[in-house]
Amino acid sequence: MTDYWLSKMMFDLQKSGDVQAWRADREPFLAQYPISEEMKQAVRDDDIAAIAPHVNAYLLRFYCGICGMEDAEFIAHLRRMPAPEKTANG
Amino acid sequence: MAELAGAFAASHAPLIAREWETLTPPTKKKIVTAFGDMKARIEALSPDILIVLAPDHWVNFFLDNLPAFCIGVGTEHGGPPEPFLAPKFPHKAMAGHPEFARHLAETAFEKGFEPSLTYDARLDHGFCIPLWQLNLDPLPAIVPIFVNELEEPMPTVARCFDWGRMIAAAIETYPDDLRIAMLGSGGLSHSIGEPTMGKIDEPFDRNCIDLFSRADETEIAGTLTRALPTVGNGSAEVRSWVIAHAAMGCQGFELIDYEPVPEVYVGCGWAEWRKSAQSGDS
Repeated sequence: MTDYWLSKMMFDLQKSGDVQAWRADREPFLAQYPISEEMKQAVRDDDIAAIAPHVNAYLLRFYCGICGMEDAEFIAHLRRMPAPEKTANG
Repeated sequence: MAELAGAFAASHAPLIAREWETLTPPTKKKIVTAFGDMKARIEALSPDILIVLAPDHWVNFFLDNLPAFCIGVGTEHGGPPEPFLAPKFPHKAMAGHPEFARHLAETAFEKGFEPSLTYDARLDHGFCIPLWQLNLDPLPAIVPIFVNELEEPMPTVARCFDWGRMIAAAIETYPDDLRIAMLGSGGLSHSIGEPTMGKIDEPFDRNCIDLFSRADETEIAGTLTRALPTVGNGSAEVRSWVIAHAAMGCQGFELIDYEPVPEVYVGCGWAEWRKSAQSGDS
């Protein structure tokens, strides 16, 4: 299920390019959006497996780049997730 | 009267730009050669307008307002905002063709579509990686058409066939003598931000190429509709190819090149739909 506000935060981060501030302290950003505590914690923990089902895959990729995650690390996170029965492209 | 002079399709993997300096020589050669071939073919058509079909990668649109189809009707369009592409791209802005774009929108409404319009488009890597590699000189006026190939629900494959035919009808009914070319950007198979990220489904790609070469609309639509949910999410961009295919009357497909390129995570394809190969051209 799409998490609109989590997605919105990622979209706004991408638009603003406020990478250094995000990497220095995520809390002021998280405080601006009505994101569930569960998802906030997933963001704090870089729990990609918890986040991925709730945001668009491309948006997630951009977001992980903003966090400073190289593709190899991002892919390693994704590989640890269970494969979906179908991908979201139909 | 305007004329659809030809249609093309090309992949737009962002790593082509992001990792350009470190791509292996064979990969670089493959990409440069294919785009160089396509550049010669497009420039031989001397198009006044290039319609480019591509998804928006969260640059112009978000979940608060996400169009299935959007036509760029502005006098000009902004260049790519991505830091990995902007410094390489030769244009800060690209001229549009608001008169034809408006006619395209009106034709769409007449034919049962309700696309959104934008007077202020930014063209991201989906549009600009092919344009960067093609380096067309002169660059024709660009009429961008955004197709939602990124977030479900997306236009059905059957609807993309209809959209392609609508574009062809709009060109045929435009009163000015303009030569128009079309470029479908995206595909073939790739998987982004999901557990299969990096996987290229070469059998799917080869099947797409075979379908465009010989199959009728019903078979293409049926096969793609069944296959797309089972291959990587980026494969959804084959809709851009479908639209180009339909606009050219589902005839004249010619593969320029195909190569699965793990370095850029994409089954990279380049193709042309040749008008001269069609029968019964108007």
